[in-house]
Amino acid sequence: MSAVLGPERPQVVSHVQQALNYTVFDCKWVPRSARLMCLGSAARGTGVIQLYELHGARLEVLREIEKPKPIKCGTFGATSLQQRYLATGDFDGNLNIWNLEAPEIPVYSVKGHKEIINSIDGVGGLGIGEGAPEIVTGSRDGTVKVWDPRQNDTPVANMEPVQGESKRDCWTVAFGNAYNQEERVVCAGYDNGDIKLFDLKTMSLRWETNIKNGVCSVEFDRKDINMNKLVVTSLEGKFHVFDMRTQHPTKGFASVSEKAQKSTIWQVRHLPQNRDIFMTSGGSGSLHLWKYEYPAQRSKKDSEGSEMGVAGSLSLLQNVTLSTQPISSLDWSPDKKGLCVCGAFDQTVRVLIVTKLNKI
Amino acid sequence: MPVWLQEHSWRQSLTAVYLSLPLRGARATAANIFCSEQYLKVSIPPFLFEAVLYAPIDDTNSTAKIGNGNIFFTLYKKEPAMWDSLTLANADKEKLQHLRENAVLKAQEKAKEETEAKKITKQENKKYALEATMKLEEAERKRIEDLKEKERQKVTKELELWKNQQKDGDKYKSIQTKEELHQEIEPLKERKKEKMNKTRIPNEASSKTRLKSTRGCHGSCSIFSQDLKEEQLPAPRAAATIKVNFTPRVFPTALRESRVAEEEEWLHKQAEARRIINSDLSELKDLKEEEKNPDWLKEKGNKMFAMGDYLGAVNAYNLAVRLNNKLPLLYLNRAACHLKLRNLHKAIEDSSKALELLTPPVPDNENARVKAHVRRGTAFCQLELYTEGLQDYEAALKIDPKNKIIEKDAEKIRQLIQGTMQSS
Repeated sequence: MSAVLGPERPQVVSHVQQALNYTVFDCKWVPRSARLMCLGSAARGTGVIQLYELHGARLEVLREIEKPKPIKCGTFGATSLQQRYLATGDFDGNLNIWNLEAPEIPVYSVKGHKEIINSIDGVGGLGIGEGAPEIVTGSRDGTVKVWDPRQNDTPVANMEPVQGESKRDCWTVAFGNAYNQEERVVCAGYDNGDIKLFDLKTMSLRWETNIKNGVCSVEFDRKDINMNKLVVTSLEGKFHVFDMRTQHPTKGFASVSEKAQKSTIWQVRHLPQNRDIFMTSGGSGSLHLWKYEYPAQRSKKDSEGSEMGVAGSLSLLQNVTLSTQPISSLDWSPDKKGLCVCGAFDQTVRVLIVTKLNKI
Repeated sequence: MPVWLQEHSWRQSLTAVYLSLPLRGARATAANIFCSEQYLKVSIPPFLFEAVLYAPIDDTNSTAKIGNGNIFFTLYKKEPAMWDSLTLANADKEKLQHLRENAVLKAQEKAKEETEAKKITKQENKKYALEATMKLEEAERKRIEDLKEKERQKVTKELELWKNQQKDGDKYKSIQTKEELHQEIEPLKERKKEKMNKTRIPNEASSKTRLKSTRGCHGSCSIFSQDLKEEQLPAPRAAATIKVNFTPRVFPTALRESRVAEEEEWLHKQAEARRIINSDLSELKDLKEEEKNPDWLKEKGNKMFAMGDYLGAVNAYNLAVRLNNKLPLLYLNRAACHLKLRNLHKAIEDSSKALELLTPPVPDNENARVKAHVRRGTAFCQLELYTEGLQDYEAALKIDPKNKIIEKDAEKIRQLIQGTMQSS
């Protein structure tokens, strides 16, 4: 593992720190603006959505919305740039899409799951990618459901356990491979270490594997291209990077793994402007910035002549410890390179700037 | 008795005295020479030479050269004057002794002073070195801080600039949408083209921090472009279900590599426990098939307990234990029966046996362990052994801190203990 040396390393500069009076579970930038959303749970057991705007060295509260149930996750991935509706999943299993200008009544609402929605992702919106906008939710009830905001009440795809099988919590979901109107895949990670890749075009399970530790976060490096890389983070401080371009019939996808920290790696997020750089956030309150380097040959033939992928290598660009509590959510700004927000369980949200990313 | 060295020769100038002392074969080192202001002694056993000098000399600057079987002293006089003789004449024994002692004392003091002076200079040097390094480090740190500060300010400025552009962009967008709301479709398509040209220019003029996208016109054009886009969107997917199988896992908790060994051990023990059958009981022949199954017997026992037939339940559990004495739940349930029957010692025994079998402690057997602790605690309290009972309740609380009932009972016991201590 090589490291970029000395003064040329990217620096993580803490720009603004904001203390909150609720537990923040997710934070996201509002696309095309200097505003960010924080979602979470207030002490009295209600959900909170707060909208902030970045003013110089401060965050100014623009709006505060309270909802009856605590909110666990949210995404802007499936809305258009003008509308910028926020889709949220809450502790009760409800999926709601809100118009932030008129947040009293949701634009779309469905009680999608019997238990808390742990993770949500959207694709097809924001002018990125092609195809219908869709939202996927993963829940503790073991199911992963894909929703189309134009279709009420029933999901367009439902990945549920076989009859009689005991369920495992689904902890994380991600869309990928949405490079044309028909193709789309959903990757889901579960608490027993299972990773499953569902192909929505053929409505089948395309690949599955088990990484021996509960899966905390999965993300493709880009949702709207032919699937290239998938980063999976887990408990016990490990994460894996799978090369998704070549699938071997028995061995699946090639991967490289790294044990970064002693604690759980809660979140991974790729830099929108450079798909080979990503940041992982850990249970010890630290952030690690990584770069993936491709191998000389991305695929090779094995003894039987079938193609198998070759995984590359990882280098740690920078790491910094910001908090004593886990940093549970992380989001890069799609508009300004290096600007990111992270929310931690010490009830603070921090806006950070990562410098020198141009030189990588 | 020392041998006095008498042969010496000397000469003098106004400021110095030169004394030459031949050594008869003896070897001299600096340690053998003792010199103070008015007293000079050379002692090389068995030879001895001493002289009480005529006038005081500057002993720090005076030198002695040892060589050629000779010691050559160069003594600098304190007061430049010619001496009548090298030594003081008419010096009686007492005076001599006095002088000697003085000389020795003075020499010692001098030595002490010198060491002190050395120490002080050493300390000062150290301090100086320390301060110098601290300054260097401080400077280094400051430099890094400055760099960071500069970066931050630069980035903040860029951010502000970018934000203002966003605001302008937004304003522009909102003005446009307002205009377009009042128009019809046909002329609008032409307008749209026009606007695309217009908006292209400000877009390109703005700084490169904006995301370039060919779909950028979507952002700045009207709602009508969105309608068009919607027509291009495919219909919602046909609903379907994919059935999923999970990698089997017995425990409801998440999988962690570091805990796998412990969990395996527990499962192994459970599996073994089920397989053991004590087959050398002759009464087995009389039992029906079902009665040979410890699980069936346990179920029977549970049912009888629920109906209040505690003795029957105990019998069922006894038989089950004879068949398989490694199932912790049998002991746990039998302990509950004994509690109801007020066989307190037996209840304690059974709960203890259950706890022994419930190792290693994993989340899976949490419930069972809490129950065992609570039952044993209750039995202790009923025997008025309150401290032991409290210990068990606290162990139960440790496993399950959220259980209010256990908390309340533990509190009650504490108060009982305090009450009895006060009265005794």
